[in-house]
Amino acid sequence: MINPLDFTGKQILIAGAAAGIGKETAILLSRLGARVLLIDINEDGLKEAASCLEGSGHHLFCFDLSELNEIEPKVKEIVLSHGPIDGFVHCLGVRCRRPLSMITPKVLNEIFSLNFGSFLELVRCITKKNNFNEGLSIVGISSVSSQKGGMSVTAYAASKAAMDSAVRCLAKELASKKIRLNTVVPAQINTPAYTSFLKMNAGIEDETLSRQYLGMGEPIDVANVIAFLLNTSSKFITGSSIPVDGGFLSS
Amino acid sequence: MTNKDKIRLIEDALELGQNTINEDTLLGDIHGYDSMARLTLIVLCDDEFNKKLTGEQIREFKTVKDILDFMG
Repeated sequence: MINPLDFTGKQILIAGAAAGIGKETAILLSRLGARVLLIDINEDGLKEAASCLEGSGHHLFCFDLSELNEIEPKVKEIVLSHGPIDGFVHCLGVRCRRPLSMITPKVLNEIFSLNFGSFLELVRCITKKNNFNEGLSIVGISSVSSQKGGMSVTAYAASKAAMDSAVRCLAKELASKKIRLNTVVPAQINTPAYTSFLKMNAGIEDETLSRQYLGMGEPIDVANVIAFLLNTSSKFITGSSIPVDGGFLSS
Repeated sequence: MTNKDKIRLIEDALELGQNTINEDTLLGDIHGYDSMARLTLIVLCDDEFNKKLTGEQIREFKTVKDILDFMG
């Protein structure tokens, strides 16, 4: 018998692991044999996530990833203490409703810094020589809103489209180093971020739920696909954006 | 911040002319008061007053004064 999602001996870094998809991914990977290194700004959330992990050799790092200049020394420190990385998942970001009139330069910069800037900077640092093992796989979490327009989500959607585009470029640029990059493209998933997002709904029609005809997604639905993309089972997949959308983009 | 200043903020955010609304103005009577206008006010409350107004709450508001009271 074989396990096509065996992560024994692999070390996976997860940014944004205290809740939602990041937390579910961390738990799943630990159950598949990985050692997981979890980063989040929320210390209590990190500890709660850690209490759900299986196996051992996991570590927690509490810091603010919106401080882009502080990412490089942190990654250096993590690799020095724990060794090179086999996989990286970026699961953090701010999801908010803002009409165009309220997307000031300051706000746009904050959203882009956290959602996209932290992704690119973490990838830049992790893919430096000696920071990763051959076969490194990187997964970012995009959104169906990167492909399908929605009212009041311009900044968020654009930041996700930036991630998809960057992944297409970097997959080609880093192929010679045997590094793969992909994004997963979820529709509405039942997470705390979605619950907060719903609270801001001032009556704007959100057709996403009616179009994702398989119903509401769960974090494990996305975590399963992330695990596949991190694993050597998907070694022929790179530069892709994989929908995990209950049929949304096809409907 | 005075109520006058808050009203001015609301007028700017909703692109209404100066002195077009007052405390007693019914929200439903404001030109263009749709779901995007409500969202604009939700974001305004968060940005300027650090108060989290929900979609459910704002739909219960009847007058400009209800918003001013929420702003605190």
